Parts: sequence; structure tokens; C-alpha cells
Amino acid sequence: MGITKIVEHDEHIEQLWYMKEQGEVSVDFLKTSMGNTYNEKVIEELFNSGLIDLSQNALIIKLSDDGEARARQLIRAHRLAERLIADVLGGGGTDLEKIACEFEHTVSAELVNSICTLLGHPKECPHGMPIPEGECCRLALKTELSLIVPLSDLKLGETARIAYINCRNDQQIHKLEGLCIRPGVIVKLHQNYPTYVIECEGASIALDKEVIANICVWKNAQPSVSAADQKKLDKKNNGKSLSKFFHLFKK
Amino acid sequence: MSNCHAGIQPTKNSSEAQEKVVSPQSIPDMNNLKKVAIIGLPNTGKTQIFNNLTGEYNIVANYPGTTIEMKRSVARINDQYYEIIDTPGLHCLYIHSEEEIAVRDMIFSERPDIIVQCIDASQYKQSFLLTAELLELETPMVVVLNSMDETARKGIWIDSVELEKRLGIPVVECIALRGLGKEELKKAIAKARTGSLDVKYGFQIENCINELTSVLPFDLDFKYKIASLYLLNDPFVEKYLESKFGAEKILSVRVAFNKFRRQLKGNVRQVITDKRSQWVNNLTETVVKQQKMIYQGFSHHFTQASRHPVLGIPIFLFFMAIVYLAVVYVSGAIDKFITFAAVTPVTGFINSWPLPVFWKDLLIGPHGILTLGVFNAICTVLPILTVFFFIFGCFEDSGYITNFTVLSKRIFAKIGIPGNAITSLVLGFGCKTMATLSTRSLTIPKEKFIAVFLIAFAIPCSAQLSISMAILARVGLSAFLIVLGALVVSEMGAGIILNKIIKGKTESCFIQVIPPMRFPSLRAVFIKTYYRIVSFLKEALPIFILSAAGLFIFDKTGLLAMTKQALTPMVVGWMGLPKDIIDVFLLALARREAAAGLILKMVDSHALNYIQSIVAVVVTTISFPCVANVIAIGKEMGWKTAVAMTVMIFATSFLLIGMLNGLLKVVCGV
Repeated sequence: MGITKIVEHDEHIEQLWYMKEQGEVSVDFLKTSMGNTYNEKVIEELFNSGLIDLSQNALIIKLSDDGEARARQLIRAHRLAERLIADVLGGGGTDLEKIACEFEHTVSAELVNSICTLLGHPKECPHGMPIPEGECCRLALKTELSLIVPLSDLKLGETARIAYINCRNDQQIHKLEGLCIRPGVIVKLHQNYPTYVIECEGASIALDKEVIANICVWKNAQPSVSAADQKKLDKKNNGKSLSKFFHLFKK
Repeated sequence: MSNCHAGIQPTKNSSEAQEKVVSPQSIPDMNNLKKVAIIGLPNTGKTQIFNNLTGEYNIVANYPGTTIEMKRSVARINDQYYEIIDTPGLHCLYIHSEEEIAVRDMIFSERPDIIVQCIDASQYKQSFLLTAELLELETPMVVVLNSMDETARKGIWIDSVELEKRLGIPVVECIALRGLGKEELKKAIAKARTGSLDVKYGFQIENCINELTSVLPFDLDFKYKIASLYLLNDPFVEKYLESKFGAEKILSVRVAFNKFRRQLKGNVRQVITDKRSQWVNNLTETVVKQQKMIYQGFSHHFTQASRHPVLGIPIFLFFMAIVYLAVVYVSGAIDKFITFAAVTPVTGFINSWPLPVFWKDLLIGPHGILTLGVFNAICTVLPILTVFFFIFGCFEDSGYITNFTVLSKRIFAKIGIPGNAITSLVLGFGCKTMATLSTRSLTIPKEKFIAVFLIAFAIPCSAQLSISMAILARVGLSAFLIVLGALVVSEMGAGIILNKIIKGKTESCFIQVIPPMRFPSLRAVFIKTYYRIVSFLKEALPIFILSAAGLFIFDKTGLLAMTKQALTPMVVGWMGLPKDIIDVFLLALARREAAAGLILKMVDSHALNYIQSIVAVVVTTISFPCVANVIAIGKEMGWKTAVAMTVMIFATSFLLIGMLNGLLKVVCGV
């Protein structure tokens, strides 16, 4: 299968994922939302390779388990790429979408996990859409190389800038926003026992471990990976990903 | 029976408060008064400003959440009468808890004519986020920059003239605690006007909000704000609309909202909050100057030490020791003085009268209304409460209590108390009623039940704590420590067991702003103590006298002897207390301070031995939930739960006290 064909297949699969996020299942919806990029033949091929399920006279369309796994991988790559570009490389706007779109089709699962680890396992893309969880998030892998770490990992008295807040609870995030605990703000860790106390915009605020672990901050990254962490990561990723990652940046 | 004891202010409902301050005749038309709502983040000084404007007194303290219920009063400002509304703290118009929802519902449904936003000038950024939201309500506003004395210490300079220009509304500088800026605020209220907010959320969202406002019921106020809150998934906005217009009418609105919500790509919340904080940043860049170097003085270091896991403990013990010594020695001295100056002469005078024995007994007999009523209240209980309230007031105003919350979090977490319930539990040491009401900020039923139970169970409130201290000090410091240990063990045990029995999830989400510690203003503490004492005398003194009279009648009719006879196996057998302690229990039903005063007398006259004194104090602390507390439980949890909880507490404490008695006997080798 050529690269353009892969891309075409992937676009359809992704669209089906978005539909799932919105709770839509009709073929008509797929047609209207894809416009002229919709291709009947691709649907047929996807059905034949068992990536989608069709029912009710091919009016209802859904991803199969295999298809969902593929879509998950694509969406994860796409949204993590957006985070990488927006947070680390300082890009935005149309750049974000364009690069992420190209990136998602070619990148391997291991590399995606490495980026995820580097960014501190974000849960939302810059547009606020959820990033599907990967193996590395479940293991909560960390490396010395991680640019973004939970606020709870700071040393006492250290200051850091908040990168993002990993929180799906609307009420909690509004409460944090109301206290000015938000991306871009500089915070200082005062105390970590019996509970965490931070200073933010002139106010001292006490927080639970559960809350503070979701606040991710920029760390002054050391360009070295500790031996233990390297081992842990290599074991998980067959030792390929980090070197691959650097390769990507050299390009 | 009393509605709340003197610990901390009774929460009044609105009509009561209104009647109290201004008699209706003096105001032409109560219904046409302009409403002024004082709104702001927690612990920014709203109640102090309310007090300054109305000339009323409500308890103020340096910790978030002092005000739990809204208070209203009428004040004359510039020859015009206004209804002033004091509100509990509000973080933003997107709601997190029930206290906050009450404030928002008040704004939405009553439509105040003027909003006075109270800002802690030393933490301005957080408050300006709320300003942005309040400006969207398009209601005449005044901004009050409170605590202007703190800004200097923090190296902050706010250009209030420029701020006034930027916001388009009057801005007043003030130091409410010292009454500075009061007149300026009054003038500003007369000049309040609708400000301008130049925040645009982008074409897509604006368009969406505008279209949504057209779907909302025609006669709804604040459509723009309500539409944007709906778009942000605020969980309470739909409920508000339903209660106002009925579920059917709102169904079509919901359908439209869901449609729009799907159309919007990306994260609406993020866009909206980003724009708002951008606005705040732009605003503060022009109106606020921040020094780079600040001298972190003693209070800063002391604050940090007071919540430090190691240094915090000696500081806490030091404070406890101060309370103990003051309560025991200072109030003891006052007691002696009053007895010498008033009680002895009065008793002597009455004794010298040629009165029949019955009347003498009624006045100064062992159950006399003077002995057990007036003298008990004024000589025994009042000095202790006065001293304690004074010291407690200092703690409240210094900001120590919230720092103590941080320090004690670990212990509470051990017994399964989730983070957000801890503040309520600590407040229980002040007044259990108020602490129970403050649990409305807890949203998870299991957390709320456990917190309410533990507050009602073995936590002594300020009045109990101080009198228990005084009693136990006469028996010995060891007795005090034993009681403390017994209470801590029972409380922790109850927490652990409840956590095991009750099914359901607890979610830890502790986010608490810690106020900076400061040296308390003695003037403010004196005023606060004075008001607490006055309210104690007003509420409790009649009950002291009535319960003494009741006991006197009980005694004279022989009912008392019968009751004693009936309860003897329980009291003497199981609890190991003398029969006469039943007088104490009967008084405790009416007012626990009265009972404690009687215990004190029994200790003094050696009617109770070492073990009995300890047991008696524990009984009065645990077994008799105060009536106001039970009412508060009923309010928060429903009457069934309130009754069930009271029964549970009574049964558990009965068991525990028997066990304590047995254990003490074994240990002391009696």
C-alpha cells in the first residue's frame, strides 16, 4: 500500500473516531463531515480488512476493535504532536494542524510513547481534546529528560512555570483557574508534608497530592538520562525510541 | 431552648436580621429599597465592609469561610436607604459548592442594583478574574481594594485612579478592619455605574453565545452570562433554569445547547479562561507595580513554621499551653474576685432577710435560681468564656487556624477524612453548629456524613473546651491529658469505623488558600469578644435561670429523687459516678455550660473523685449533642439522619464511657 493510500485510509479511520467522541454513527454524517475527501472505495477496503463494522444496510458505521486500536494510535500521535509543537517548539495556528497531520501517519508507537513521556503524559491536546492513554501513561514513566514534570516532583523552594493541568474534572479546573493556577503562571513549592503548599500570584495555597500531581510544570531539563531510567525505558521500548527521537530532531 | 450557643455568631435568617437593625416604621418602603450585594473571594473582608456600612456587628475572622449564610441589613447611605447583602465567598460564577450557588442564585434571581466587589489588594490577580466575570453581568459596580496596608508589605503598588479609568467603575481604597475608606465607599456607592469589559472570546464562541441567548426564556435576566455558563458545562445552571421555568420549557433550550456545543470545535473553557486571564494580565501590567525585592519579615517565617511538620508541633503546644494557663489562672482569679465582690455580699444579704425557707431555697439553695442560674452563669462560666473567647479571637484574626488545618491534615487523613472536610472539622473547635453548616461545601455524600458525624461526636467546641479545661485543671494536668487522649482515640476510632462501614467513594480534592498570618488587632478582638459575651448572656442566661427553676421544682415535687432512683444502675453502676451527677445531666439537656458549671462546683466540694471528674467531663463532652448542633444536622442532612445520628452518638458514648470508667479503675488500681 502506498503512502497516499495509507493516509487516505487513516483519514477515514480518524473521522470515525471523532464521530465516536461525538456519539455519531450514521454514514451520512461521515459523508457530510468529510465532504469531497470521502471515498466509498476506502470504506469498502476498510470493511474488508476488518477495521470497521457496517450494519443496517450499511447505514450505521462503527470502528471494529482493530480499527479502534489503529484510530487510537493515530489520534494519540496527532494530539501529542500538537502538544509537542505548541509547548516545546512554540508553533501554533495552522502549523500545528499541518505538521501534526503529516506526523501521525509515519510515527511508530514507541516514538509516540517517548514524546508522551518527555511531555509528562499530557491528557489533553492544546485544543482541549482528550489524548488517548498509552502504555507509558499507565506506567507513569519518567526520565531525566522529561521537560515537563508534575509539580509535586519539584524540590522545596524551587520555582517553575506551569505547562498545563491534567484534569478532566471541570469543577476542579475552574477552581484552580479562579486561584490563578493556570498554564504560564510561575509557582513556588513551599512545603510537601503533611500536605503540599505552593505560592502562586502572591497567595499561599494548600493542595492535596492528588491535585498537585495533575499540575505539570516545566523543568530545567538536564541533557542526561539516569542509568536506571534509561534501563526502565529501554526495556519498555526495546531500546529504540530515544535514539529515534534524537534522530528526528537532528533532521 | 437556645438556638446556638455563644461560641460563634448565630446564623440569622434574613428577615430576623432586617428587623433587628432598623424598625420598619423608619423606612418608607421596604420593598423598593435598592439592593447592594457585597461579593468577593473568600477571606477578602466582605463582612467587615458590611459591618462598616451598616454599623451592625457580625463576627469577622482571618480565615476563609467565616460567613456561611447571607446576611441582610438596611443602611442609610447619603440620605438614601439601601438593603446591604453580605455573602459567603465566591471564587467565580462557575460554581463549585452549595455555598457558592446560594450567592449566584441570589445575584441571578434578585438582581442586585449595585454590586460591591471586595478585593484583597495583596492578592489582586485572583480577584480581577472575578471582576471580569462580574462586569459581564452589566450591573452597576464598585470595586473595593481592601487590606491596602498589606500591599505595602508585599511591595505592591496599585494605581487605583488608573484602575478606575480602565474598568469604568468607581474604585475605592480601604483598610476595612480599621474602618478606613468607609466614607469614600459610601460616596462611591452613590456613583456606581456599569463598567466595560473589552474581552472578546472570538467570533465562533461569541456567535454561539449570542444565538443561545435568543433561545433562552424571554424574561430571563443575565442571558449572556447564563448562556456562557451553560456552554462551559456548569452543572447548576440547568437546575436553576428548571426551577425557574419548569423542566418542559427548558428541554428545548437543552436541545439547542447540545447542538451548539457540538458545533464548537476545541475547548471552550480554555479559550474563555485564556482570554479572561489575558485581560487580567493586561490590566495588571498597567495598573500594578510589583517590587522585585521584598523583606520577608517575622510573620512570614512564623507562618511557615506554624505549618511545618516538625516546628509546627511545638508552636501548637505552646498556643495550647497559653490557652490552658489563661483559662485556668486568669479566669480563676476573675471568678474569685466576683465571688468576693458580689456573690458573698448578696448571699449574706438574702440570708439576713426574714424569708421563709422555701423562698430562700428558691433563691440561694443548692438548686436556687441565683446559685445555679445567675451565679453559675456569671461567676463560673462567664469568666472562663471571656478569657477563652479573647484568646480564640486572637487566633482567628491571626490566621493561625488555616495553617493549623495544613498541619493537622495528616492525622485527619489517617482516619479517612478527605482533604476538603478538614477545614470544617477544625472549625468544630470553634462552634459545632457553624462547622456543621460549613459542610455544605462537601459534595460527596459519604464525606459529608462522616464529617457531620465527627463534628457532632467527640470534638469539644470552644465553650466546652474552655470549661472542661478549667474543671480538669483543678483535678490535675494528668486528668486533662487523659480526657484529651480519650477524645482523640474515640474520634479517630469513629472515623476509621465509619469509613469502613459506609459504602461509596471519597475523592480527595483539597484546595485551600492560606491567609497570611498577621498580628491580630487587639481592638478588633476586644470588640469580637464583647459581642460574643453579650450574645452568650442574652441567649444563655435566661436558660440558666429557667433550668435552675425547673430543677428546683423537680426537687421540691420529689420527681428528682424518683429520676435519680431510676437512673442509679446506669449512672452509678456503669459510669461509676455519684447519684447527684444526675442534676448535671438534666442541666446538660438544657445548656451544657450550665452543667459544666455544676460539675466545677462538685469538683470544688470534693463530691467527685479523680476518676469521676474525668468521666463526668467526657460524658458532657460526647453524650449530649447541643440542640443547635442537632438542628444544624437536620438542616444539612435531613431530620431522619439528625435523629439517627443523635441516637448513634448517645449509644456509642454510653458504651465508651463505661469502658473508660472500667479502664481507669484498672489502671488506677481502684
